[in-house]
Amino acid sequence: MKDSCFSISKLLEKYFDQEVTDKERLLIEGHLQDCPACQDALSSMEAIRTLIKVPIEEAAQKEDFPWVWQKIEREIRLQEKLTWWQSLRPWLDLSPLLKKKVWIPAAATIMVLLFITAQIFFKKIPSYSGASVVEYAESETNNIMVYDLEKAKVTIIWLFEGPEEEVIPS
Amino acid sequence: MNQEETEMISRCQQGDQEALKEIFDKYHNKVYRIAYGVVRHREEALDIVQEVFIKLFRSIKNFKGKSHFYTYLYRMVMNTAIDHARKTGKQFISSLDEEGSFEPSDELEKGPERILLQKELEERVKGAMEKLPAEQRAALLFRDVEGLSYQEMAEAMGCSIGTVMSRLHYGRKRIQELLKDYVELHGQSRSSSNVSKGGNPPKL
Repeated sequence: MKDSCFSISKLLEKYFDQEVTDKERLLIEGHLQDCPACQDALSSMEAIRTLIKVPIEEAAQKEDFPWVWQKIEREIRLQEKLTWWQSLRPWLDLSPLLKKKVWIPAAATIMVLLFITAQIFFKKIPSYSGASVVEYAESETNNIMVYDLEKAKVTIIWLFEGPEEEVIPS
Repeated sequence: MNQEETEMISRCQQGDQEALKEIFDKYHNKVYRIAYGVVRHREEALDIVQEVFIKLFRSIKNFKGKSHFYTYLYRMVMNTAIDHARKTGKQFISSLDEEGSFEPSDELEKGPERILLQKELEERVKGAMEKLPAEQRAALLFRDVEGLSYQEMAEAMGCSIGTVMSRLHYGRKRIQELLKDYVELHGQSRSSSNVSKGGNPPKL
């Protein structure tokens, strides 16, 4: 391989794929006339193309495509008759998601959401057991009681009707 | 895209099955070649053809005509075929991969032996292709089998022309390494004859 092959080799593949400019084509063809190494490289590319292409074309020639079309037609007709819940099935199918391993971040997200929800539901409700009565006033119709919650720093004012008269059985 | 094709696509977008049949008649061979090139299995390739045209019928409404229709279709084929290959978890390991080299000789001229050697070579090519990453395999198929230009390949593969060239280069290099013995013999025998200018497979 000659020194000039280095610069040509970058263009050789483009030349083989017919993607070079006219100027580049002339340059390469001039080089190829005196360079067996680059001629071999080009021939190798041609050999690979043949190896890939020929079996595929031969396989395609053997096929019975009208039969394939019949299957397509039948499948389309079948899908048109699907009930609404059957058409939802592909959307509800979780197996592709499981295969793609998206369940790991999904499970992590669910765990975080559960944790946040639990915080809200199981939040400690302040108990009034530690409350102490600060003031109590009575009148004929209503009574007022003022509670002070030390822990929660809350004051509760409770207004209720006056005490019922005790019924004394005769 | 010519007028006739535009009309055909438009009718298909409106749900006309006859139009889909026309598209099928025009493209089924190309779709099969790409599918077969990726999965290298007859029944699977036919399943992919079927799947692609059903998908096309359902999703052709999304085709806005900004790119060539065949690059849109090729992209669909390639994605379906790669998905199919991944689903089936197909990992072809040729029994000939690690064995002695294949040497084409005068035996090729003989009947049953020639067929046997041809089969062996096909298996080796199949094995070599399956060792390539899906994108490189796709690039080789689009260029060497379907004869797409770099621009068309970039459209079909959703990447830049530079990426297309890189995929082709590394794909060819890897295949060349895997089939070195055959390519060298085959290449040398041809170099003195007709391969002194760029080859191009037939276009669409």
